[in-house]
Amino acid sequence: MKTVFINGSPKKKISASSYLSAMQRLFVKGEKVTKQLRNKNDYESIFEELKDADAIVLSLPLYVDGLPSHVLAFLEEAEMFFRENDLHPNLYCIANNGFIEGRQNEPLMQVLENFCFRAGINWRGGIGIGGGVMLNVTRFVFLVQTAVYIIMLIITGFQTGNYFHEGVISAFLQNVGVLLFFNAGVIFFFIRMGIAINRRGKDFGKHYTRILIPSFIFIPFANLFFLIYSLFKGGLFRGWLAKK
Amino acid sequence: MKVILHDLEPSRSEQLSSKCDAIIEADGKYAPCQGCFGCWVKHPAECFMKDKLQKACRTLGRAEELVIITKNLYGSYSTNIKTVMDRTIGASTPLSTYRAWEMHHILRYGKHSLFKVLVYGNITEQEKATFTYMAKRNAINDGYNESEVLFFASASEAESAV
Repeated sequence: MKTVFINGSPKKKISASSYLSAMQRLFVKGEKVTKQLRNKNDYESIFEELKDADAIVLSLPLYVDGLPSHVLAFLEEAEMFFRENDLHPNLYCIANNGFIEGRQNEPLMQVLENFCFRAGINWRGGIGIGGGVMLNVTRFVFLVQTAVYIIMLIITGFQTGNYFHEGVISAFLQNVGVLLFFNAGVIFFFIRMGIAINRRGKDFGKHYTRILIPSFIFIPFANLFFLIYSLFKGGLFRGWLAKK
Repeated sequence: MKVILHDLEPSRSEQLSSKCDAIIEADGKYAPCQGCFGCWVKHPAECFMKDKLQKACRTLGRAEELVIITKNLYGSYSTNIKTVMDRTIGASTPLSTYRAWEMHHILRYGKHSLFKVLVYGNITEQEKATFTYMAKRNAINDGYNESEVLFFASASEAESAV
């Protein structure tokens, strides 16, 4: 069984879509191929892989309540490709949006279902994930914190001769626990969708989840993130909230 | 201000211009969004790509009434129209708030009145339902008071309904 993972983020690196699709990949058996879809130059090598694919997992960001336009352009070509080659693979989707509510991905899911109908391939459902950008950020915060803990272990080791200081290790484990908690909903549905894919195209249906933080905490943190980000990028000094 | 965004032949703009204050032609002569957030965090309300959409968000943001004429594509806007929408998110700020009990961006240019979509081309009943739902979602997200979606068999019929 062959599964092709298509990442539909236009970003060259560290996109939430590729992070989420890499996580889903862990729960899928058989031959696995990951392709990036950023522009027209990527079509040919993707179609080459799709010729013998049993399942496709399309991981993409929500842009203005719909699909990013470069993915729409790809789907138009893909519709012809599937029809001309009489191919009927199973399509699963991982949609992520920056807002906290995973359900905001619903229109994107419907468009993909309509695409499958026209292309003659099988719509098998997907996961709509809220707070995709924040999930992507948490993994980097986690990596930085882990590095700090390792340095702290070395320093306390130097000072006391004990390189496995309990306080530092328990702080690290707490950190792992928090990250797992944030991702718990996402991981739960990745396992379930993985099972559906492994059962040769079982229908999964549409499911919505999110980073497990209440929205009244999430929104101030998202605003703080953009404030700091804009400070570094310089936008804050160029009429950030001005009407222009 | 009334703004028309259309993916018809560019030659149709002349006729349409008498019915609105500004026109954006979705002719596909521009690149898709790269997702860099530059129009939020680096050079607000301006794209780093120097093509006709570089400052288009300033026109769309000021629209009191927006009319979109688009070909149907799986119950979504055509690729050319969607590229314009993706490239103009600078009409909002990077900050978020609650709107209609959900998280949405704070608008740079304030609220608008009518979000109207005139869809032409072959369409299934399912796609009609998707389109109506998507326009409703867009209206909430972009701060419009109401949305309206109408379906037409041909581009010329959609055009004459403006």
